[in-house]
Amino acid sequence: MVILLAVLVAGGLVWLARRNRHETLAPVTDAESEVPGQPYAGQPIPAEQRPRGRIDVRGLTKEYRGAKVVDDVSFVAEPGQVTGFLGPNGAGKTTTLRMLLGLVEPTAGVATIGGARYVDLERPALRVGAVLEASGAHEGRTGRDHLRILCRAAGIPLARADTVLAAVGLTRAAGRAAGDYSLGMRQRLGVAAALLGDPQVLVLDEPGNGLDPEGIRWMRELLRALAAGGRTVLVSSHQLAEMEQFADALVIIAAGRVAATGTLASVVGGHPDLEAAFLDLTAGQGGIR
Amino acid sequence: MTQPVIRPRLISAEIMKIRTTRAWWIFLGIFTLFSAVALLNNFLSHHYQLYPQQDLADRAQALAQAAEARTPAGAAAIAASMMTSGQFLTVLIAMLLGIHVVTSEIAQRTVTATFLVTPRRERVIVAKLAAAGAFGALFWLITTVLDGVVTPVFMASQHISASLTGQGVIRAVLLGLLAFLLWAAFGLGLGVVMRSQVASVVAGIAIYAGGFAVVELVCHGLYDVYHQAWLLAAPVIAPAVAAQVMITPAPAFPHAPPQWTGAVIMAGYALALTAAGIVQIRRHDIS
Repeated sequence: MVILLAVLVAGGLVWLARRNRHETLAPVTDAESEVPGQPYAGQPIPAEQRPRGRIDVRGLTKEYRGAKVVDDVSFVAEPGQVTGFLGPNGAGKTTTLRMLLGLVEPTAGVATIGGARYVDLERPALRVGAVLEASGAHEGRTGRDHLRILCRAAGIPLARADTVLAAVGLTRAAGRAAGDYSLGMRQRLGVAAALLGDPQVLVLDEPGNGLDPEGIRWMRELLRALAAGGRTVLVSSHQLAEMEQFADALVIIAAGRVAATGTLASVVGGHPDLEAAFLDLTAGQGGIR
Repeated sequence: MTQPVIRPRLISAEIMKIRTTRAWWIFLGIFTLFSAVALLNNFLSHHYQLYPQQDLADRAQALAQAAEARTPAGAAAIAASMMTSGQFLTVLIAMLLGIHVVTSEIAQRTVTATFLVTPRRERVIVAKLAAAGAFGALFWLITTVLDGVVTPVFMASQHISASLTGQGVIRAVLLGLLAFLLWAAFGLGLGVVMRSQVASVVAGIAIYAGGFAVVELVCHGLYDVYHQAWLLAAPVIAPAVAAQVMITPAPAFPHAPPQWTGAVIMAGYALALTAAGIVQIRRHDIS
């Protein structure tokens, strides 16, 4: 009897977990979201505080079973700039960003934000906002609840959730389960989470994925506005044409190693455009190894 | 300066996580159903204990047992049993909730957002332990209120009386609370160590439901060979047996060790699993 009931309960839980993960949800257009007219810019960062937002990556290396997926990567992202982090798929961009954010332990090297490792920041959400995967929200939880939970954990007033939902144009969809959101809406929910603590540093991994042209323009203007206010914006992408439009500085990575760093103009150099420079710099070093 | 590992705001966030998904209502529904079924089962079983059926083969013995059940000590034992109805089954739900608290974060990939806000992962696990304990206590409260409403009605309908605030009843009810807390913590520890939702649910149920039989078989087999008396008490090392020993005032089985042994062993499992899980999750790359 006990075993039968236990199996029933366990079966129900497993079914629920799988349903939440794999359920094909009714298609939702972006009708319940609206791209705000004015990009969110937050409070400008005073000049004397700006050095606290400097990202300094030194010799980061990550090995999995003897293979180096990130190999001695070093670069700096300065406050007041959008730094594009470019590379082919599988080049090590995401692993590098995860090491910067304390999610992956480096085999060697160190990454600091304003001189401190991410894991040593007492309330990191107030210093650094990150978007690593679309939303990161439980599919059965509403967008508003997802943000309120993050607020509570970070010690931020719960009302801030509604402020950032409005900033990313998700006010009308705030009460809907995140699993019902389109990919673009999930990306914007992820951005909203990153903005909760009005942080000085933003780290975004492929934030343009799933966004329509209007959404991409909105993202570009948002990141530009945040950098203009003195924030450090580090954004990974493989959308070269898009990055060429708004990055101040670039870091190009291929096969786990830095292929080029510098201003957009210095990286492009004598090439006709960024795409030509990128293909030249990463030639024969496709990311999939 | 060392920062405290217990953070009230993290505990509050973990409680919010549990109550803002549909799974919580499913847990609550199943738990309430199990509690009600177990209470009804206990109701009927004690009724037939007090009023044996006419067609019983050994009616004389049944009547003697009924007379004993009507004594003050017997009535107090029935009251304690009614007030802890179905605990054997319902603590299972507390354990599954403990597992769910951790493994749903991994299954749903929300763990990245969680560890971005709180990079000190041990603080998250400690907060989850507290949240799982809080919901374990809530489950206990629900079942105790249900039992507290039905037990006086049952006692009156069966024409027996015993104080529901007597030492025996209070002790049984409080040990029940400890069982809920420890099983929730056990589930959480198992979830942290195993991380896979399916694997930890299967392992949890196997340990809960099958552990007793396996350990008893092994211990009795060893006793047949070595004839050491302590081998007959050894099944207490199985978590389900330890919990049973902890909540049973009379020896839970022949040669059973004292009640406190069960509590220490259960607490030991919960703490050891959680500590092992913390060590593991601190090293684990979230990719």
